[in-house]
Amino acid sequence: MREQEPVIKVRHLKKYFMANRHILKPSDYVKAVDDVSLEIYPGETVGLVGESGCGKSTLARSIIRIYEPTAGEVIYKGADITHLSNAKLRQYRNKMQMIFQDPYASLNPRYTVGEIIGEPMEIYRMYDKAGREAKVQELLELVGLKPDHISRYPHEFSGGQRQRIGIARTLALDPDFIICDEPISALDVSIQAQIINLLEKLQDERKLTYLFIAHDLTMVKHISHKIGVMYLGHLVEFGDADEVYSNPLHPYTRALLSAAPIADPKKARESKRIKLEGEVPSPIHAPEGCPFCTRCAECRPECRITPPIMANQDGHKVACFKYV
Amino acid sequence: MALLEIKNLSVDFKTRNGVVHAVRDVSYQIDTGQMLGIVGESGSGKSVGMLALMGLLAKNGSVVSGQMLFDGRDISPLAEEFHGDMKAYEKAMEEIRGVKIGMIFQDPMTYLNPVLKIGTQITEGIIKHDKCSKQEAKTRAIELMKQVGIPSPEDRFDQYPFEFSGGMRQRIVIAIALACRPRLIIADEPTTALDVTVQAQIIDLLKELAKEKNMAVIMITHDLGVVSMMCERVNIMYAGKIVETGSLDEIFYETKHPYTKGLLDSVGTHAGTGRQSLLSIPGTPPDLLKLHSGCAFMPRCREAMNICRDYQPAEVCFGADHCASCWHFCKDRADEIVKAQEG
Repeated sequence: MREQEPVIKVRHLKKYFMANRHILKPSDYVKAVDDVSLEIYPGETVGLVGESGCGKSTLARSIIRIYEPTAGEVIYKGADITHLSNAKLRQYRNKMQMIFQDPYASLNPRYTVGEIIGEPMEIYRMYDKAGREAKVQELLELVGLKPDHISRYPHEFSGGQRQRIGIARTLALDPDFIICDEPISALDVSIQAQIINLLEKLQDERKLTYLFIAHDLTMVKHISHKIGVMYLGHLVEFGDADEVYSNPLHPYTRALLSAAPIADPKKARESKRIKLEGEVPSPIHAPEGCPFCTRCAECRPECRITPPIMANQDGHKVACFKYV
Repeated sequence: MALLEIKNLSVDFKTRNGVVHAVRDVSYQIDTGQMLGIVGESGSGKSVGMLALMGLLAKNGSVVSGQMLFDGRDISPLAEEFHGDMKAYEKAMEEIRGVKIGMIFQDPMTYLNPVLKIGTQITEGIIKHDKCSKQEAKTRAIELMKQVGIPSPEDRFDQYPFEFSGGMRQRIVIAIALACRPRLIIADEPTTALDVTVQAQIIDLLKELAKEKNMAVIMITHDLGVVSMMCERVNIMYAGKIVETGSLDEIFYETKHPYTKGLLDSVGTHAGTGRQSLLSIPGTPPDLLKLHSGCAFMPRCREAMNICRDYQPAEVCFGADHCASCWHFCKDRADEIVKAQEG
């Protein structure tokens, strides 16, 4: 896999939002994503985990330029798309699609399923009307819905079915890179597994590449080949999923994994939880050095001065002074 | 005697499209100091049962049958004590709701009043029910805030909800629930809106407090992970019925009902790592308006038989209190059960 060119290469990406805009005082910035670099290879799923506000959605949205990155580069299959104009970006947009969290909010209630799924193709002037309809029906079948659902409205479907409609729309333009932003967290437990299975099936059939954002650590473990852990806008650990889960290096990753509820009473009784004191600091007044230093049990003096850089431990990267 | 005993509770909602039987003939009990988990998907009736207990059902909902014995006293609106007098019932509930039974809700931001200081919100119940002075109530509120782990409570007493993080807000909600020293806490998805590290903190806090104050806790959740972290007993609900009940280990390791099995499979408890596909439950949760006469899980069940479509299975117990309602365990009594349902 290594010889292949990455589908997405992110280099030193930053996204700052202005907060407390003031004429006389200098503005504060929320450093939502701060100096993140990662590579995503064809056909793999990269899982992104972290607590709310850690910047995982902002990173994903900056990659496909829903947000304009403040600094850094995003390279799609060798082409730098960071500074392209909207018109030029158009030829890449169809290749990079997104599945959203809330299937109740992401589908227009006044459009029929056919219109929802067909709209992207209309915008990209693909096929004629009959061709589009045939394609919509093919997509519906692919995601496990019936072709005659085409003329129904979103309110007639359950949450899981709506998420399937969202997935069909995402696939309409034959993308190769899909961002899944918490696609299962609004669904019932029994439905979550159905959607995960569907996403995996589609990935195998269509050689899709996923960036999968979630806060449910068990499901991420199941679907991902690689895992990235984010904390306060920084990517603190990145590596093969099995490796990160079985041998977490960063103190934050260890605490996060140990806090995840295990649906198995015996294991839950045995597991030793690492308790984290306090809360995530405000991203406006982030700590000077390592973002985690305020809550880390192994914090050293140097941690408070400069942030650690990602160090490579046999393909398993971690940003922590312990490993430098 | 059990602290709370629910007997044959049924709750209906009248809607424009017909009557929804949200809770159907549910019975269970909980002892002092016990932790009970009620697990189910949306629409399974897990929250509605609790709202009925607290007398908080929406206007179109009503308890149609059953008893709810709290400490031996029936507190259902149908209880003989009230003779159908809703005013008497409301008055009695005021002495119970928030005093003897506390509630913790899912989303602390919508539960707390955004325009009142949190101090006011914690002391409100204390002043009303314990008839003490504002100053006394404040002292107790600050003590409570300390117990639930809010740093510098004296300063934070006068702050508003928006000045707190999600985890801190949930701690305040817990402080309010504890304010009148209840004997039973009903926690309705208390950690669903929180991050995993905060969730772990809140679960620890609830466990510690329950132990310290010898309170019973009913934890309503869809998360089997949360259940295995904190509960002793578990009720699994589907379409308004308890389909399986047992101790934590019985539910996880001696699973009987196909729905419980399906739930455990779909969270990957019994699956290893790697990408073999998860065993999911096919189909979607049922529309409660269109239930057929048999077992509600039948359309999604991998082990369904013909009899499941038309007749309700009887509850069968395996050991002291591990019971499940499934035709696979009462096949041999089929004639008798069918006759009872037809008669």
